[in-house]
Amino acid sequence: MSLIAGVDIGNSTTEVCVGEASASGRIHFLTSASCATTGTKGTVANTHAIKAALTKAMSNIGRDVSDISLIRLNEAAPVIGDTAMETLTETIITDSSMIGHNPSTPAGAGQAVGEILLFEDLSRGVPDRPYILAVPALYSYEEIALSVNRVSQTLDIAGIILQADEAVLVENRLEKKLPIIDEVARIDKLPSQVMAAIEVALPGQTIHMLSNPYGIATLLHLNAEETRTITPIAKSLIGKRSAVVLKTPGGNVQENVLPAGEIYLDAQNSLYINLDEGAHKIMEAVADAGTIRDISGQPDTNIGHMLSRIKRGMSQLDDTEDADIHITDILAVDTMAPVLISGALAGETCLEKAVGIAAMVKTRQLPMQAIADTLKRELDVDVKVAGVEAVMAGLGALTTPGTMLPLAILDMGGGSTDAAVISEEGAVTMTHQAGAGELVSMLIETELGLGDRHMAEQIKKYPLAKVESLFHMRLENGQMTFVDESIDPRFYGRVVLLTEDGFIRMEKDIPMEKIVSVRREAKRKVFVTNAFRALRKVAPEQDLKQISNVVLVGGSAEDFEIPEMLMEEFADFRIVCGRGNIRGTEGPRNAVATGLVLSYAGERP
Amino acid sequence: MIIKKPSIYIYTDRPDTAVLKDICAGIEEEGIFFEIKDAESASVEDLAWNAANDSMLGSGIGISGLAAALQMKGIQKEKPVEAYNSPDKSQCRKLGANAARAIKKTAFK
Repeated sequence: MSLIAGVDIGNSTTEVCVGEASASGRIHFLTSASCATTGTKGTVANTHAIKAALTKAMSNIGRDVSDISLIRLNEAAPVIGDTAMETLTETIITDSSMIGHNPSTPAGAGQAVGEILLFEDLSRGVPDRPYILAVPALYSYEEIALSVNRVSQTLDIAGIILQADEAVLVENRLEKKLPIIDEVARIDKLPSQVMAAIEVALPGQTIHMLSNPYGIATLLHLNAEETRTITPIAKSLIGKRSAVVLKTPGGNVQENVLPAGEIYLDAQNSLYINLDEGAHKIMEAVADAGTIRDISGQPDTNIGHMLSRIKRGMSQLDDTEDADIHITDILAVDTMAPVLISGALAGETCLEKAVGIAAMVKTRQLPMQAIADTLKRELDVDVKVAGVEAVMAGLGALTTPGTMLPLAILDMGGGSTDAAVISEEGAVTMTHQAGAGELVSMLIETELGLGDRHMAEQIKKYPLAKVESLFHMRLENGQMTFVDESIDPRFYGRVVLLTEDGFIRMEKDIPMEKIVSVRREAKRKVFVTNAFRALRKVAPEQDLKQISNVVLVGGSAEDFEIPEMLMEEFADFRIVCGRGNIRGTEGPRNAVATGLVLSYAGERP
Repeated sequence: MIIKKPSIYIYTDRPDTAVLKDICAGIEEEGIFFEIKDAESASVEDLAWNAANDSMLGSGIGISGLAAALQMKGIQKEKPVEAYNSPDKSQCRKLGANAARAIKKTAFK
């Protein structure tokens, strides 16, 4: 009796599986576990995660890591995925010239035009000239209302901009009703004696004058040339409930198209394509190119830097003389990124066009033997590098009840989407495609403007709900659930993620429907595109109809909606497609680790 | 027929004027009506709980001296939604705003 451990190092997760091999060669599986991969896949830093996962697995059955007699490492495919985001357009406002935001409670309604007058200069105002009053937070709503009421006979105050959240309080105390915008944090940046137009929308509506270039032109008396330059401002104010536009003499707004650079494909049919042609054109070019030897970017452009950075990272793994590092695949995805407008006053953002890119780097070989040697020294257990990843994944996938050869597996991980077809004779065809779970997280992070990768990962993993009262919430599919014990008031009125250990609160105020559509779209863009790309490459005669069964394995196959999306897409091709269930118990995870243990039985003398 | 304006109830026991004023300002900014009633009670939790249960909107505030608490109908008396012993100005505004947001079903401040 001996304990055999299989270890699978992935881009993001390290999985282990431990089985007992009897004298007759039968394998009896005992335990499995997984941990986040430490360091880049294929480096000695991986040993930390391997040890942690082994300890976790062995403690499940109350035994020690030293009881293991053999550890089998997979010969990891020498491919590493990396992702990057490239913005293609940008909006620059020189000289502060706009505020557009959604304070929860602005007051009054309508538009007003006037010269900016600071509250402390109120006494210096002259009659018969319209003013927009700007008031910092240190004045109370009573003081403001009192002063405005006092001067209302002599001065023409047309509208008010407040720093504090007191618009309704001030308006309720005014004799003459005015549009009032509040919660303008950087009120100190407002230049005095400059013409400004403000607008507050009626309840339930959004502004319509300041989100229209001709509306701004009407209010601020702009000529045709000035109207053209103000268009990006109008565009970025669409959908807001209140806005301020300033007419600064030197002010200028530019919408730049950034030089994104060209991508060179060194392939069967070498060609090049400009990044700003968009994802669709780029992917067409990648498909037309045939077998790709290497991909590079135009030097001194963003894409050039990005691709060479990925290659440099890879060359640190394999520093041998004959290291042979190539980018063999990219996946480009169109996206919109909310980018902070440089020059805006209240942290406004503008949706800019962007392209998300995942690249796949291939080297001659990963230094797996070095990992094996380190592990052997540190654990004092025999370690062997065994088996090709795709074959092992196939062996593991076959333990799913209801599967038989020939079989296609689609391994959807964090860094890459891999496909393999195993024929009845056991011959394996495989491919590795750039783009998987990490690209989805990056798309979610940018499109929602989260600036927080961890939160994006959580959004990817869990369904949403909106807490509508302390005793019920509405799930994203429209269902309602009621709870006995009142929900913590911290979650009241918020969008939350439903995780195994309770709720995670969305800090940003984004409607649930928007998050759901961004999340689903990101998954569709990456996984549906890649599933077809990958399977077409490995299918006999490149014909999808020749594939009858697809088993989905890997971390992203655990996702609560990706497998269903793929099932729907594959239904048209009469392909049986479903989430794998390794050993009938593990779900789609642990296929490679299981395959490694199983293959031990076959290799024994 | 008795017609009452739907409003947040504020039950007070010798309230601090500044605390009361800023809590009211917090509610007013959110655009909801409120009614203030004097009441005698053992604790600020009691005041808030009674106010919440008497208010047809189900949102009530108790103020006793400097202490203030926000309560909603259906929540245990000992567990007010929000409570302060001696709140500062912004905490008072926040408590008032949250009393209103509890009715509007928007996220608390």
